Amino acid sequence: MNVYEVFLKKAGKDEFRHAGSLEAPDAEMAIMYGRESYSRRAEGAEMWLVERSNVIEADPSFLAANADKPHRHNDGSAVADRRKRNRAQAQENEQS
Amino acid sequence: MTLSPAAYDYLLTLADDEHMIGARHTAWIGMGPFLEEDLAFCSIAQDELGHAIALYRLITGDESLTGVEVDTLALDRPHGEYRSSWLCEWPTDDWASALIRHWLYDLAEQLRWQNLASSSVAEAAALLPGIEREEAFHRQHATSLLDRVLATSGPTDARAKLNAALAELAPVADSLWVAPMLEAEAIAEGVAALTFAELGVRWYTTVRGELTRLGLTATFDPSAQTDRTVRSPHFETLHTDLNAVRVEDPTAIW
Repeated sequence: MNVYEVFLKKAGKDEFRHAGSLEAPDAEMAIMYGRESYSRRAEGAEMWLVERSNVIEADPSFLAANADKPHRHNDGSAVADRRKRNRAQAQENEQS
Repeated sequence: MTLSPAAYDYLLTLADDEHMIGARHTAWIGMGPFLEEDLAFCSIAQDELGHAIALYRLITGDESLTGVEVDTLALDRPHGEYRSSWLCEWPTDDWASALIRHWLYDLAEQLRWQNLASSSVAEAAALLPGIEREEAFHRQHATSLLDRVLATSGPTDARAKLNAALAELAPVADSLWVAPMLEAEAIAEGVAALTFAELGVRWYTTVRGELTRLGLTATFDPSAQTDRTVRSPHFETLHTDLNAVRVEDPTAIW
């Protein structure tokens, strides 16, 4: 038996999402079991199955965030602060 | 719509087989050989019960007019008024037997439903497209699974187990083709096209061909069930089980 990862996509613009996994002897049975296990109530309009051995996995340590690179976490606050200061300065200049 | 006595009996025969095999299949809920197969097989059981309900509804007609509820028709008849075949009433204590019976029955169903394609009972013919879509999956499931278990070498000898299941069930399998009680009239009225005897010939050809392909062996005996009013020794237990909740609480509803 092989393990397959099951992805479902609803009709419309939604993306494929991981629904779960299943065991099946081969691709044909995996599709049958995929429908019966994950899409019996029309949870998906499209289904992808990927044999787990074909999934490329990244090492979690490789994915861990680098704490010393705050510029990668740009939430716009620095720009917003600067614009706020500029607006206040402009108002002051007008009044004077 | 009012059904003639022959049409009524003919559709009741199909409905009772669907009901009994669906009920027998559900005995495997939570007992399947692995989770995915458990879900798939129980889904098939639900399909068969759904087909039974569709046929019972067709027979009872509008409940508000006829006063006959589907549950009453499905569950309250004296045993002799049921029309099920012995194969559908038979218990399966082993998964291999459940699989073999599912395979034999769904090959038979293909012929039975196609036989209603131009039925004079238009409501019965109208059920076909939806049901045939489910039945195609049932046949694919049964055949695929038989192929896979026979192709896999493991600690269990699948071929020996399936042959044992066939030895247990093949002797009662011919009951599938015991004709509906008023078959001749039903065919004269156009309810169905061919007789069960004619369908049976086709079924045996398919089944024997597939058994040869799969390398399985079976001996089919003429049916011990003489006609559709005779219940198997296993029916009473099944019928009691089906009514257990209703006996306990007659007002129970789903």
